[in-house]
Amino acid sequence: MAVVSSASGLLAMLNEDHPALKLHALHKLNSLVNLFWPEISSIVQKIESLYEDEKFEQRQLAALVVSKVFYYLGELDLSLSYALGADPLFDVTEDSDFAHTLLAKALDEYAILKSRNSKTGEQGEEIDPRLEAMVEKMLDKCISDGKYQQAMGIAVECRRLDKLEKAITTSGNVNGALSYCINLSHSFVYHRVYRCKILSLLVKIYQGLSSPDYINICQCLMFLNEPYTVATTLETLLRSGNKDDDLLAFQIAFDLVENEHQAFLLNVRNRLLYTASLSGKSIGVTSVENTAATVNSMRTHDALMSESSNVPNGPLDPNEVAYYLKLEKIKGILSGETSIQLTLQFLYSHNRSDLLILKSIKQSVEMRNSVCHSATICANAIMHAGTTVDTFLRENLEWLSRATNWAKFSATAGLGVIHKGHLKQGRALMAPYLPQTGAAGGGSPYSEGGALYALGLIHANHGEGIKQFLRESLQNTGSEVIQHGACLGLGLAALGTADEEIYEEVKNVLYTDSAVAGEAAGISMGLLMVGNASDRASEMLAYAHDTQHEKIIRGLALGIALTVYGREEEADTLIEQLTRDQDPILRYGGMYALALAYSGTANNKAIHQLLHFAVSDVSDDVRRTAVLALGFVLYSEPEQTPRIVSLLSESYNPHVRYGAALAIGISCAGTGLSEAISLLEPLTSDVVDFVRQGALIAMAMVMIQTNESCDHRMGTFRRQLEKIIQDKHEDTMSKMGAILASGILDAGGRNVTIRLLSKSRHDKITAVVGLAVFSQFWYWYPLLYFISLSFSPTAFIGLNYDLKVPRFEFVSNAKPSLFEYPRPTTPPASTLAAKLPTAVLSTSAKAKARAKKEAEQRASAEKSSAEDVSASSSSGKGPRASERDSESVQAGNAPEKKAEPEPSFELLTNPARVVPAQEKHIRFLEGSRYVPVKLAPSGFVLLKDLQPEEAEVLALTDAPSNVSPANAGSGNNPAQQGLGTSAMAVDEEPQPPQPFEFSA
Amino acid sequence: MDPQLVEVTQIFARFKAALVRKDFDHCKKLLSQLKVLLTRFPSLPPTFEKTPNAVQELLIAREIYEHAVVLSVKTENQDAFERDFFQLKPFYTDTCGLIPPSPEEYPILGLNLLRLLVQNRISEFHRELELLPAAALENPCIRHAVELEQSFMEGAYNRVLSARQTVQPETYVYFMDLLAKTVRDEIAGCSEKAYDSLSVADAKKIMMFSSDQELSTYIDEEHPEWEIKNGFVYFQKAKEAQPWKEIPSMQLINQTLSYARELERIV
Repeated sequence: MAVVSSASGLLAMLNEDHPALKLHALHKLNSLVNLFWPEISSIVQKIESLYEDEKFEQRQLAALVVSKVFYYLGELDLSLSYALGADPLFDVTEDSDFAHTLLAKALDEYAILKSRNSKTGEQGEEIDPRLEAMVEKMLDKCISDGKYQQAMGIAVECRRLDKLEKAITTSGNVNGALSYCINLSHSFVYHRVYRCKILSLLVKIYQGLSSPDYINICQCLMFLNEPYTVATTLETLLRSGNKDDDLLAFQIAFDLVENEHQAFLLNVRNRLLYTASLSGKSIGVTSVENTAATVNSMRTHDALMSESSNVPNGPLDPNEVAYYLKLEKIKGILSGETSIQLTLQFLYSHNRSDLLILKSIKQSVEMRNSVCHSATICANAIMHAGTTVDTFLRENLEWLSRATNWAKFSATAGLGVIHKGHLKQGRALMAPYLPQTGAAGGGSPYSEGGALYALGLIHANHGEGIKQFLRESLQNTGSEVIQHGACLGLGLAALGTADEEIYEEVKNVLYTDSAVAGEAAGISMGLLMVGNASDRASEMLAYAHDTQHEKIIRGLALGIALTVYGREEEADTLIEQLTRDQDPILRYGGMYALALAYSGTANNKAIHQLLHFAVSDVSDDVRRTAVLALGFVLYSEPEQTPRIVSLLSESYNPHVRYGAALAIGISCAGTGLSEAISLLEPLTSDVVDFVRQGALIAMAMVMIQTNESCDHRMGTFRRQLEKIIQDKHEDTMSKMGAILASGILDAGGRNVTIRLLSKSRHDKITAVVGLAVFSQFWYWYPLLYFISLSFSPTAFIGLNYDLKVPRFEFVSNAKPSLFEYPRPTTPPASTLAAKLPTAVLSTSAKAKARAKKEAEQRASAEKSSAEDVSASSSSGKGPRASERDSESVQAGNAPEKKAEPEPSFELLTNPARVVPAQEKHIRFLEGSRYVPVKLAPSGFVLLKDLQPEEAEVLALTDAPSNVSPANAGSGNNPAQQGLGTSAMAVDEEPQPPQPFEFSA
Repeated sequence: MDPQLVEVTQIFARFKAALVRKDFDHCKKLLSQLKVLLTRFPSLPPTFEKTPNAVQELLIAREIYEHAVVLSVKTENQDAFERDFFQLKPFYTDTCGLIPPSPEEYPILGLNLLRLLVQNRISEFHRELELLPAAALENPCIRHAVELEQSFMEGAYNRVLSARQTVQPETYVYFMDLLAKTVRDEIAGCSEKAYDSLSVADAKKIMMFSSDQELSTYIDEEHPEWEIKNGFVYFQKAKEAQPWKEIPSMQLINQTLSYARELERIV
């Protein structure tokens, strides 16, 4: 078979006069272009002129040949434009590199044009209709081929919502397609307005379905900020009279609460109540009803009528009564109280914090060093965040009383962290420290201010009840310390509510121009206005320019940054203004503004800007913050962060290194990401003390809730912390970092993690704001406590119809040791360390090591046996007894026990600790009594009872009151004991511990 | 026999008759018809489909193109020559084994080499030459072209000119005539580089003009930048001074400064 060796003959034929010959040559060239494009390229102008010749019949063919030649030459732009000229001949279905490449190019081009047009508004440049036609052809082809995901992706990218809708509706699995789209829109659509459009389209499609997925609808609606639609959805579900629908409504409510959007939830709640009152039949809300009636004269008559018919209190419509009861429940859920209360119970009952760690810290820290002293107090607060366990403080009252002045402020505030979420009794708990009205000079202003701050921490984001009190306290005081506390407290309690009155009051404090109070006021104003992007920002900016106090400027800078939270492009003007400012502190605020406005978006522009500032600003503070801000922008894609900051972490500038460490800490928090740890490891032994501090804290944030069997570096890290704390010659800064790190590692009784995204990948506003303010601790240690806002419990809490926690078992398909609690430190090791505090000789160190090894062995042996025992008799004996039992039993046969293979799964009992890494292993048992409404591996999950006639066994029934502090203090776990012994009513709030006072 | 093939054969016969008659216009018309008809033969390059008539079709197509080349020489049309030659070439290069080689192959290849020489496209000349098998160089037609090229390169222009007298095929005459012009251009180009000026008499001799008149017309047409003054031809103007290369100091300073800035920024 002969093949032609050159295209020159055909090319020569193109020069012939007869059109038929040209045509023939073109046809042949078209089929041979893949072989002879180098030859053809030299006379491509000739073919182009054929294309431009209006009289030539087969212009498109010429265009196609030219397009192919340019494709081979790598000139994709030209190639595309000629391919468009070849319009009907360019076959989108062709399976060739040429077609694929050009289609990709066309899609890119089209997407760019479309997004540019949408940015500039209507009068964008015209899009070539041929390009549009090509893209449409492509989309139609994808849809008809059944490649729906591809079609959806292209449609989203090209902003073709009509095609998106078509793709979703024609795909067989509409629900799957929709959830895929939701994912897409969250992770790949950077433009906020456009994302809203997509989501509203999705909602529309959802609602068109015969069996809509209400959970997802409501998540979308939440992003769209449409509380009314959510409220109506919930109402329809509740009114349907079907128990399953009720459960679904509760589930939706819990999911919404998890996203921590206070203003939105408030709107939903009000709307629900409002419509309920409008119906005019609900009992018990008569006051609301009356106001509603006066507002709406049309229905007045109606309402009065029904009221009069209902007032006799006799035969009420049972449906309405039931609805009202359900409404009460959902109100409770939406207000967050239900989940807070359940979390509190969970954290209390499952508290596994290791007091020995605190003890050894306390012993090794030098008394006079106030930084380490208050760091220890803070570590304690973080360790026990939300657990209400204040044993450590109680046992060390005298030691505690060494905290003076601001340390006292912090220490008091720490109580707020411990009792976080203790909504009902928070105020009673703090009562001894709160400013007493009338009795002037009763307590120290520091503890009073701290107590107000603590109240804010307790009621963070749920401050309806406490706002009034805090306001009064603010009004009644002239002391700047108390003002400081009250401002922070108010900001926390009224987070994001944009309450004008409070704002005015805080502003008055700001205008007193007192440095200490002003700083808190600035932050507080930001907290109040989180994400509101109002013109308040310019007001604050103006004052920041006026004032002389750096502290106030710094507070305001952060406050301004907070106001633009999540606003993305809308914030650009303000960011520009801040980052161009003369004052480095305001530029520093600009970095925070960038961080918060683009938080979790991984927006390229923002990353670019931050990297630019990180290397070019003259102020170290700005550079440090710029790097740190990267962590906020990237937290939705933690895998990216180590790569992006890896160069920065090797910077010569310690501030940049510090920023890099914290950036990783923030964005990879709670992930235990291996690359993150590898990057942080060298930083923990940096030459500069504050870099070590940052790296230790960041490491703890990353490693929170991982144990040694997950990552072997965990053990090394714990030992490193111990060493730093005990080392006499270590710098105070890194010592403080180590103390805080040990606190964060075991935060919340080892049952919480730092999570900035909710399970529906919605950013948790409180958590992000908490971390942002926390990162300010560089300037002001009391702000450390803000980290407690970012803690979220890692629990599976199943709830029945009555929102109680029934006994329910499910499986974690992984070795139990992978996710178990870290082993408690053993007393012998620590007592030994305590006995030999002064001279640590090599011999004693050896002895210590030996003792430790022994202890460890014993502990592990103890562990394996204890597991066996507790598996067989879960409620029989107290853990102590069983432990001692097993200890004596296995003393001889420990090795045998060890050899036993570990089971590959674990049965968990509701409520259970499920760490994030464990979530993928969670399975629900077939044939169990309860079926979850939503297949979520953690969080609050409503359970459907399949055997409603049987009596339910409730778990989580222990109240703190029946565990004596001494018991809890001995390092043992009160939870197991409680689980077995008491069977009290579930909804009973944990009793407040006895108040105590440490102030001398 | 295939009707199309019959048609082609008939028209081709008429074409040949017309060619003998030297009725070139008619020839062109017929040739164009023939070419269109040829496009319908699937067995021709580049497709080379195996049809029952493939051999006849290839043979006749080759012959047609060979005649087309000859025709183009006769009509003294270089473009047409090039066009037809390239269409003919696949028959020589890619049909080995399908049809026997043509007796006209080497004369036509030689003709093409000559054309390239005339058009002073030396690189293409050598490219073509390299594609030929070593044995082909023995062929008188090819050897002739090669020898001409060698003389041309050596600058032995007289030998080139004298070769004209020893031409074998009549078709070569046209190109040999043109070669004289090419040689003159070369000489003109060399003189321009070599001398600042030349006396008119010398120029006339070097460039082989018989009269001053001829020389000045040549200069007007081809080298308007030359100047004839006081019985001398000045080439000065052509050698315009190179533009003064300035040191881009501003640019360099900026670059250096930006390097310094970047260095400072290194993290």
